[in-house]
Amino acid sequence: MSTVAAVVVTYNRKDKLTTVLDHVLAQTRRPEWIVVVNNASTDGTDQVLKEYEQIDGVVVVSLSENTGGAGGFATGMNKSYELGADFIWIMDDDCYANSDALEELLNGHSKAEEAMGMPLPYACSLVKWVDGNICEMNNPGTTWDWGKLIAKGQENVLVTHCSFVSVLFPRWALTKFGLPLTEYFIWFDDQEYTLRITKAGPGVQVLRSVVVHDLGVNRGVNFGDANASNLWKFEYGARNESSFRLHHENPVAWLKFLYRLAQGLRGGNVPWSIRAKLFRKAIEGITFNPKPKMPRSVL
Amino acid sequence: MTDKPRNQKPTAVFEVLDDSGVGLSDGEALLDDRERRLVEGAANFYALAGPGQTFRFTVLRGPAGTMPALTDEERTTIEWEDDHEVVGSLVVRSLMHTIADHPPSDGLVDIAVDIGGPPAMINAYDQLKGVLGKARKAVRFLAPVQFDALRQFRTDMVERRGRDIPRKAPIRLSRGAAATPHGDTPAILFGLHWLELGGAERWAIDTIRLAKEAGFLPIVVTDRDSAHEWITRPELDGALVVPLTVPMDPKQESAFLNGLLSAYDVRGIHLHHCTWLYDKLPWIKSVRPEIPVVDSLHVLEWRTGGFVDISVRLSNMIDEHHVISPQLRDYLVGKHGMPEDKVVLATLAGLTTDGIAVGGADDVESNPFTVAFVGRFTQQKRPYLFLQLAAELKKNSPREVRFIIHGHGELAAEVNSLRARLGDAVELRGPDRPVSDTFRDSDVLVVSSDNEGLTLTSFEATAAGVPVVSADVGSQSSLIADDLLCPRHPYAFIQAAAARIRTMMTSPDQRKTWLDEQAAKAEAFAKLPRAEDWTRDLYRGWLK
Repeated sequence: MSTVAAVVVTYNRKDKLTTVLDHVLAQTRRPEWIVVVNNASTDGTDQVLKEYEQIDGVVVVSLSENTGGAGGFATGMNKSYELGADFIWIMDDDCYANSDALEELLNGHSKAEEAMGMPLPYACSLVKWVDGNICEMNNPGTTWDWGKLIAKGQENVLVTHCSFVSVLFPRWALTKFGLPLTEYFIWFDDQEYTLRITKAGPGVQVLRSVVVHDLGVNRGVNFGDANASNLWKFEYGARNESSFRLHHENPVAWLKFLYRLAQGLRGGNVPWSIRAKLFRKAIEGITFNPKPKMPRSVL
Repeated sequence: MTDKPRNQKPTAVFEVLDDSGVGLSDGEALLDDRERRLVEGAANFYALAGPGQTFRFTVLRGPAGTMPALTDEERTTIEWEDDHEVVGSLVVRSLMHTIADHPPSDGLVDIAVDIGGPPAMINAYDQLKGVLGKARKAVRFLAPVQFDALRQFRTDMVERRGRDIPRKAPIRLSRGAAATPHGDTPAILFGLHWLELGGAERWAIDTIRLAKEAGFLPIVVTDRDSAHEWITRPELDGALVVPLTVPMDPKQESAFLNGLLSAYDVRGIHLHHCTWLYDKLPWIKSVRPEIPVVDSLHVLEWRTGGFVDISVRLSNMIDEHHVISPQLRDYLVGKHGMPEDKVVLATLAGLTTDGIAVGGADDVESNPFTVAFVGRFTQQKRPYLFLQLAAELKKNSPREVRFIIHGHGELAAEVNSLRARLGDAVELRGPDRPVSDTFRDSDVLVVSSDNEGLTLTSFEATAAGVPVVSADVGSQSSLIADDLLCPRHPYAFIQAAAARIRTMMTSPDQRKTWLDEQAAKAEAFAKLPRAEDWTRDLYRGWLK
């Protein structure tokens, strides 16, 4: 039977983290390993994790500095790969998986592969917000023939990219394409990675696998929301997406991104000083072009 | 002529009609056992390729270091180099049946086999020809570490590009048209690189032993020029050994394989790094698709992929790929999309650890601190890098330090010369000394290789309680503590390895932590299926 490692990346969210881990531990198909990456939390997360570490299969990786979501996921996925996992299931520290979320992901992925007649590089869950509506931030992009599997009676949608909130990767995807780009730190690391591995074939969103994303507000990413307090995140977003569009797509895609950035900032009436900072970061993307690291085969 | 038949072994494919100097019959022998087995190997080849024919072998011996030439297309020439002496003359008749509708010629077929000279270490760089070759050799030996740095950059560039490997189209037949019945003796055909010291060869020889234990006749072919010093090993007693030298006459290649397949009941083929046999698989699978084929893979070569990529190319002809490391499993399944059930991970853990006692850690706090290298002196193992590391540690260490470099090989002259510069601090040990002595005397083992699969010395060091500092290559990460994996590039390797070893010198606790991590990894690794068990079961299945 295939083995699964769940990966949870956490930073200063010890209250939600326990709920996340309890949901993972209560899965109908319990993962062989639960790898928790503590991204140098300072709120006592380490104490909470000490208790969980006693549970069979729980592996805690404590980092000495915060490496962002990108670094955390790369670390956790690499650790899972080293442990010998056949599948790696990753999520944030505010993602509550329904009890059958993993079982449905594995089933859905397997059935989709069978119907498509090819290996598929990932399967993601349907992500809901706490009120039961779709979580706007975690809506995957679909392929042009997204309904292909629905036409065959499956509750699966073909996708081109998704966020790192309940995604299942087969081991081979990491062997072939490496790990997420640690250097992205935060934002767009999930899109870059899933777009990268979509070169091997589409991903699949398994609608029967459901998780709840416990965000403060249910709103997608929009550059028009940038302000002085959240600027740091938008700066990573501008640099990372600029780099991706230019280096992994083409100059036209890059120009279209700059246009979209300008439109978004104007639509949100973002102050000029913030607009300038974000454009400066987008320009930084011209020289920012990190390369993926490959995981190590240990077992 | 002497009485016949002299060669009465159950595996005999020829009978000796007359023998002068070779020693296959009872007369005076001018050849040693290794040389005699080489001649026997050549006679096996021609007897199988020429059913019913009579051959006269003129046996030549070349100067030291020259390689045997036994089966290549030049062997029918009855002239030879001035420096080759004639040391034997042998007439044999093939005992193989012929399917020809006319009897074979009564005339003799004359073959001049060259058994080469006494084995000698040949440096591959000595064989470089032309001005460019000489220049390359000069740079390599004047500045080995700098030259290595350039090699590593080249490796980076080539590896970054990746490799697409076209696959040989599959054979669609479930049976080949029958030409001849086959013999009754159950046999396994083994393809080896050569019969010399090496990790892959050690495992290959073990599988030959397992085949014999299971009741098979091992048929062993090799395709690489070599003095075949292991041809006298007891595991090969009773086996049919054919050290091929290429290029061969294509007609003889098929005749030889036809001879094998009709003389014996070949139940399976096991490849261990043998290009010639890999290349013949499509034909073999066309005429005998029912014969199962497996291969054992050890190391993914930088830049070319080596035998692993050859195996990928011919995967449609191979029923199962046996790999000895998780890295190779992931390469075949993950990178090349092979079905998981076609790739078998079965490790060589414990293959060479018998007789190694824990002892290395006992005197860690006493002076001097001992740093060891155990391995062949070859480019792949980079002994010069170990000696550069030794120079660095000798110059700057918190404690008195000494070094043991244990091995032999084609870079022995370079090792001697570099070692001389370091004075008495470096002790050189040869193959006459058991490696268990070196592990007992060591505080840390260094693996400085440019490339590896999974070093047997790392298993041995773990059994001896010695931590290993290793280049992060191949599947070394399966055994070595994370902090003790160092970059492959030479300068970065020396810097990282020296820092870790200095830490060990001053902190026995840290050394123990790393050793414990290494032991834990070894324990987890040991739980993976073992190659010997898998092979034994496989061969048992082939008997049914």
